[in-house]
Amino acid sequence: MIKIDALAKSFAISRGQKLSDSEKQDVRYSKEAFHSVRNVSFDCGSGEVLGLLGPNGAGKTTTLRILSTALQPDSGSVLIEGVDVLKHPVQARKKIGFLSSSTGLYGRLTAYENIAYFARLHGMSEAVLKQRIDELFTLLNMHDFANRKADAMSTGMKQKTAIARAVVHSPKVVILDEPTTGLDIMTTQTVLDFIRSLKQQGTPVIFSTHHLDEVASLCDRVVVIDKGISAFSDSFDAFKALSADGDLRQSFMTVINATASNREQN
Amino acid sequence: MWQVYFKELTELVRDKKTMFFVILLPILVFPVLFGIMGLVVANVAKQAEAEEHRYVIINADKAPELTEALFYHKNFKKVESDLTDAEALKQAIRDDKFDLAIIIADDFSADATHLTQSKWTVIYNMSSQLDMIDKYFNELLRDYSKKLQLAKLDSLGVTAEKVDALLQPVKLEKVNTAESREDLGEKIGGLIAYILIPLCLAGCSYPAIDIGAGEKERGTLETLLICPISRTSIVLGKFLTVLTTGLATALITVTSFGGWGYVIGSLMGVDIVAKTMSTLGVADLLLILMMLIPLSAIFASLLLSLSIYARSFKEAQNYIGPLSMIVFMPLIVALMPGVELTWSMAMLPVANVALAIKELIKGTIDVGMLLAIFGSTVVIAAALLAFCVSWFQKEKVLFR
Repeated sequence: MIKIDALAKSFAISRGQKLSDSEKQDVRYSKEAFHSVRNVSFDCGSGEVLGLLGPNGAGKTTTLRILSTALQPDSGSVLIEGVDVLKHPVQARKKIGFLSSSTGLYGRLTAYENIAYFARLHGMSEAVLKQRIDELFTLLNMHDFANRKADAMSTGMKQKTAIARAVVHSPKVVILDEPTTGLDIMTTQTVLDFIRSLKQQGTPVIFSTHHLDEVASLCDRVVVIDKGISAFSDSFDAFKALSADGDLRQSFMTVINATASNREQN
Repeated sequence: MWQVYFKELTELVRDKKTMFFVILLPILVFPVLFGIMGLVVANVAKQAEAEEHRYVIINADKAPELTEALFYHKNFKKVESDLTDAEALKQAIRDDKFDLAIIIADDFSADATHLTQSKWTVIYNMSSQLDMIDKYFNELLRDYSKKLQLAKLDSLGVTAEKVDALLQPVKLEKVNTAESREDLGEKIGGLIAYILIPLCLAGCSYPAIDIGAGEKERGTLETLLICPISRTSIVLGKFLTVLTTGLATALITVTSFGGWGYVIGSLMGVDIVAKTMSTLGVADLLLILMMLIPLSAIFASLLLSLSIYARSFKEAQNYIGPLSMIVFMPLIVALMPGVELTWSMAMLPVANVALAIKELIKGTIDVGMLLAIFGSTVVIAAALLAFCVSWFQKEKVLFR
C-alpha cells in the first residue's frame, strides 16, 4: 500500500541560464526555479499495478525519484505501508525496489556479485542473501550466467540481473521508471512477465511508460501527469471510459486537452 | 561503508586499466624506461669520449712539445692542410674537412727568457653539450703551460720551492660538517618527493574518475543512492578506496625503484643505493609515509568531488587535467634551488610536504615543523573531505 499526497518539487535555475521559447511558454518556469512537479497525488493498493502516463518532461521521472527517496520533495507526503518516506528515508528504502531502463550494472562484477553487493547494502546476512539470490536465479532462469561478468552479458541477461538486483531485498513496493524503453521485444517480455509475477505475489508496482498496450495488459490503475500535476488518477476502466470507443490513446488525449483548456480558462 | 570500500576495490582490481597504472607502470615500465634512458645517455657519453678529432695546427714548429703531445693523443688525428687564414679554416671546418684548427701566434716563443703573453686561436664547432675537444685540448695545454711557467719562473730566478708560494700564496683545506647523508639528501631528497607526490595523485586519479563519474555514466548511482545506507557512508567508502590506490601506487613504486636500484647496484657494483637505503631508517620511511597519507587524502577528496560533479568519464578527465597542473606548481616551487623549509613555506600546501620529505631524507627535520605540516595537511584534508561529503548530498551535483 502506497499513498502519495500533494507532492511538489522545484529545481533552481542557475543565473544566466537562457530559457528556450518552448520553456518560456511552460507555466512551470519562473524566474528562479523550474517547478517540475507541482501537485501529484495518487495511491496504489497491494496487488495493484499502477501505470504512470504523461508527455515527455511532464514530471514522471521526478515523481518516481521522489518515491524512491533519491530526491527530496519541497512539500507533500509519501507513505509506504504507513512509513513516512520523507521522515524516515533509510527505513523506507528497505521497502522499495527501483529499476529504470537506464539502470546499469557494475561491468566488472558478475551477476551474482552485482546482486549480492546491493543485498549487503540492504543489510542482508550472507546466508540469507545466498538463498534469496538462488531463488531469484531459478525464478528468472539465470543460473547459466550467474558467474558471468556484466560486461560480457547480452542486454536480456543484463536486464534480468537488474531485475533480480531490484527485488533482492523483497521490497514492499516496486517502482519502475520506463522499464521497457529502448529494450528489444524479448527483453521487454521479461520485464512484463516480472511485473505480472509481482502482481500475483500482491506486491504493488508503480511504473511509468509511453506504451499504452502495456497499460492495457497490466494496469489496474492509471495516473496521467501533465505539467507537474496529476491530471487523472483512477481505475483503468475509468480511464478507458474517457473515450467513446475505449481507445486508450483517445482517453489520454482527452485528459491532456482537458488540462490545457482548464489552464486557458484560468 | 566497508561494503562499498571492498566492492570498489574488487572492481578496481579486476580492471586492467587501473592495474596497469597502479602496478605495472611503476614495477616494470618505469624502471625499464629509466634504464633505457640511462643506457642511451651512458652510450652517447662513451661515444663522445672515444671520438677522434681531426686537427690542423698552424705554426706547429713554434711549440714542438705541444705539437708532439697532440700528435700522440689518442683522440686527436693530425690532418695536412695548406690553409692558414682564420676565415678559410672556419669554412673548411664547416665543410667537414677537419674538426679543429689551432693557430699558434707568429710571435710565440717557447724560450724561457721570452716574457710576453701570446694569444692563440682555436676554431671548432662548440655547439655540443659534451665539449670533448675543449676538455682534451685544455688538458694538453695546461700541462704545456705549466712547463713553460716553471721554465720562465726559473729564468727569473724563482726556484722550484718558491713557485708554490708565488703562484698560490694561500692553500685552502675544506672541512665539510654535513654528513654524507645530508649531502645525499639534498641531492636526491627533492627528487624523491617529486616522484612520490605526483604518483600519489596519479594513483588517485583513475579510480576517482571510475567510481565517481563512472558510476553516473553506467547508471548505477541512482540505485546506490536509494539503498538503505547513508550517503556519508557511500562517500567515505569511495574516498577510502581512492586513498588506498593513491598510497599503494606510491608505495609500490618506491619499493620497485628500491628493488631495481638494489639489483642494478649490486650487479654493477655501485653502492650508492645501498648507502641511501642504509642511511634511511625505518622510522624515517614511516614518517615519509605519514606525511603522504593526509596529502593523498587531500588529492582523494578533491578528485572525488570533481568526479562526482562530472556527468561522464570525459568531463571528469577535463576537470582533473587542470587540477594536476595546480598540484605541480607548489611542487616546482619546493624544488627550486635555494628554497628551504621555513615557517612560511610550511604553510604552503603540497610544497610543505615535499620539503618535509626532503628534510626527512637529509635527516635534518625540525620536529615542531614536521608536526605543524602534518597538522595543517590533516586539517586541509579533513575540510576537503567534509566538503566532499556535503557535496555528495546535493541533488544538483548528483542529478545534473
